Amino acid sequence: METSTPSTSAAPAPTSAATPASRAFAVPVRSTDTVQAANLIEIENFDFYYGAKQALFDINLKLDDKRVTAFIGPSGCGKSTLLRCLNRMNDLIDGTSVKRGKVTVRGIDINSRDVDPIELRKRVGMVFQKSNPFPKSIYENVVYGLRIQGETNKARLDEVVEKSLRGAALWDEVKDRLHESGLGLSGGQQQRLCIARTIAVSPEIILMDEPCSALDPIATAKVEELIHDLKKEYTIIIVTHSMQQAARCSDKTAFFYMGKLVEYADTRTIFMNPANPQTEAYVSGRFG
Amino acid sequence: MSPAPVAPPPQKPFVIQKARTRFFGLTLDETIRAFFGGNALMAVVVLALITFFLFREGSEFFGQNRESITLYRKAGLEYVDQMRAQQESHTALTRYLFDIRLRAAKHLTEEKGLSAADANAQLASLDEFAGRYSDTIEPVRGMVSELTDVAVAIKEKYTLSRDAEKERAQFIAAGMAAEAAEVKIIPVDFKVELAPLVGMTPAYVEAANGVSTAITALLATPPTVPAPALNARLQRFQELNQQYIASFPATQKRLETWDYQKPVPALDTFTGFILGKEWKTASFWQDWYGVVPLFIGSLMVSVIALFLAVPLGVGAAIYINQFASAREQRLVKPAIEFISAIPSVVLGFFGIAVLGQALRALSQVEALSWVPGFPFAERLNALTAGCLLALIAVPTIFTLAEDALNNVPRAFKEASFALGASRMQTILRIVVPASLSGIVSAILLGLGRVIGETMVVLLCAGNRIAIPDFTAGLTAFVQPVHTMTGIIAQEMGEVVRGEIHYRALFMVGLVLFLIALLINFLAQKIVRKYRVSIG
Repeated sequence: METSTPSTSAAPAPTSAATPASRAFAVPVRSTDTVQAANLIEIENFDFYYGAKQALFDINLKLDDKRVTAFIGPSGCGKSTLLRCLNRMNDLIDGTSVKRGKVTVRGIDINSRDVDPIELRKRVGMVFQKSNPFPKSIYENVVYGLRIQGETNKARLDEVVEKSLRGAALWDEVKDRLHESGLGLSGGQQQRLCIARTIAVSPEIILMDEPCSALDPIATAKVEELIHDLKKEYTIIIVTHSMQQAARCSDKTAFFYMGKLVEYADTRTIFMNPANPQTEAYVSGRFG
Repeated sequence: MSPAPVAPPPQKPFVIQKARTRFFGLTLDETIRAFFGGNALMAVVVLALITFFLFREGSEFFGQNRESITLYRKAGLEYVDQMRAQQESHTALTRYLFDIRLRAAKHLTEEKGLSAADANAQLASLDEFAGRYSDTIEPVRGMVSELTDVAVAIKEKYTLSRDAEKERAQFIAAGMAAEAAEVKIIPVDFKVELAPLVGMTPAYVEAANGVSTAITALLATPPTVPAPALNARLQRFQELNQQYIASFPATQKRLETWDYQKPVPALDTFTGFILGKEWKTASFWQDWYGVVPLFIGSLMVSVIALFLAVPLGVGAAIYINQFASAREQRLVKPAIEFISAIPSVVLGFFGIAVLGQALRALSQVEALSWVPGFPFAERLNALTAGCLLALIAVPTIFTLAEDALNNVPRAFKEASFALGASRMQTILRIVVPASLSGIVSAILLGLGRVIGETMVVLLCAGNRIAIPDFTAGLTAFVQPVHTMTGIIAQEMGEVVRGEIHYRALFMVGLVLFLIALLINFLAQKIVRKYRVSIG
């Protein structure tokens, strides 16, 4: 006997066959797994709209300090939208609005009237899906954030360039051609240049919106290694379509579906023993 | 039950040949290709033809100009002009003296509070001196006037004989030998004709020396001016006179060594056009075709226009592209683009009827008298024309600059914002530099539009063919000028085809053409230079 599938869920019913053993990848054990981290960002009852269309429904999420959190989910599930809410990049799009709830960073509501989005973005940096270095020299790309803050001391700028490029694991590759155009680098190098540019203004949080989707596996590996190093100093939130990537680099993972947060837990739990059947279906590759 | 045998479906024909439809032996695709290719070729051919005819019509100018200058020399006009120059320098000095007198009178009446009669009484000695100074040149003046008539007579005689020659040639060409023989040609022997002219040299030199001694004698007892502030000017007048007298031997030498047969170098006809400071046509004396006053006129009007249009056009583009709401965009963009739909003759009319008046009235406001050039009396001048041309250039600059700004990838802006840049910083450091090549080419195309504009400048620039007086600084920009485009439009209808004047106008057209080429070339160069990097 046939029944119509509920329109609210595209995910199939859970089956006993989908065991963790069916995963094609492993989730490594990390030393930080057992250490409790402090909460840095808290999202409470958050609703977000593009014009009249609601994109995020009642999100509640607490993100850890100095950890990597991954947002996963199928396209259009709102994970990038939520990411862009964290540094108010959505302000630049006409018609967007927060209708309910709040996002607090270190206890401050970032959507309140007296928050300057420019100051916020200096604390919350962002790396985009498509590498977008400015059509300037490598050097000028890295110091851009400092220059707009009015830094003119050459020695200080030089120091920051070296520190940031080393931090982004790019120094050895470009140290001899700092004054050549940033557009002359390879795709992976360009993305690492964008990361260097972001960390040059020493933010606390780095948002990464599918940073490896345009890169080949070798460049991806380098960026992932970099993420691993960066989490000693920065809180990283990464949106990714690659479940392997989320499993490899993140400490915690949030799974979104249709604008709702479905499940948020330790990465190991999400991938090996998810509580929600939709999560199970997604991470085992049966939909999405 | 086995199914009934089914006949296999008939095989479709395997047609891969080209279609049969053919126009002049070409398939449809090839015909379309030929049509568009033909259009492109047509454009190139038309451009080549325009260039060719411009050069052909213009190039004969040099030969004719050389002929004209040769006649200027042979008929003795050049000789007389040298004397005239000397006379005119004296006139200028006399004017300087009268200027001092004017200032002195003003000083006495306004600052010392004397009545006009008293002031004149005090200035009597200066007046007498000025009168005597002005009289010193009289002997030369009479002689120059006499010789002018002689030189003109020679030139006319030659022109008549040339016309007769042409008439005969036409009769012969038409096969009318009898009529040709009847045409009387009186050949002109320049040596004989010039004899009375050149014979005057010793007399002239004597007269000039007389002037020199008279001036020296007069200056030995310099006049006194009742205003001490003017003593410096009087001193300067003395110096100028000394320089003037010192120039006499050189003039004398030039007159004595003057030779009517000295050939005119071919280069002179070229430099005479490109560097010539006079554009003088239909004159009884000698026509000069120097493009400099027209070029400077065009340049000044364009500079004013760009000076106004670049900030307006680029500023409006930045505002509309970066700040304006969608509603403002819908309102402002068509409004600016609509300006380009106004016919330039209507704009010119507006300039004459409204803008010229308004600017003049504005310039005469007391509170604005500190502005250089204010107040001015001419309603139609370079400033009026420049303002209107700015109006014409703004839509071009605005539209192209806005396109260029629009083409800056969104990713650059986002990256800049994500690094904590404000909107203004993003615009100045990222958006404008990234679209700089487009903005510069927009400006250059605006310049091209302005240089080529004819109607507005013809109506509003004042049409005085003279190089503005730049010694008074920015005042030059409120003087009437004539432009290269204006002169062609104004004079082309009145010239005889094939005459030197006609050729000269073509040469002006050629100069315009070359300027336009240069602008386009520069625009391309700049685009290429900035495309790679903005930092």
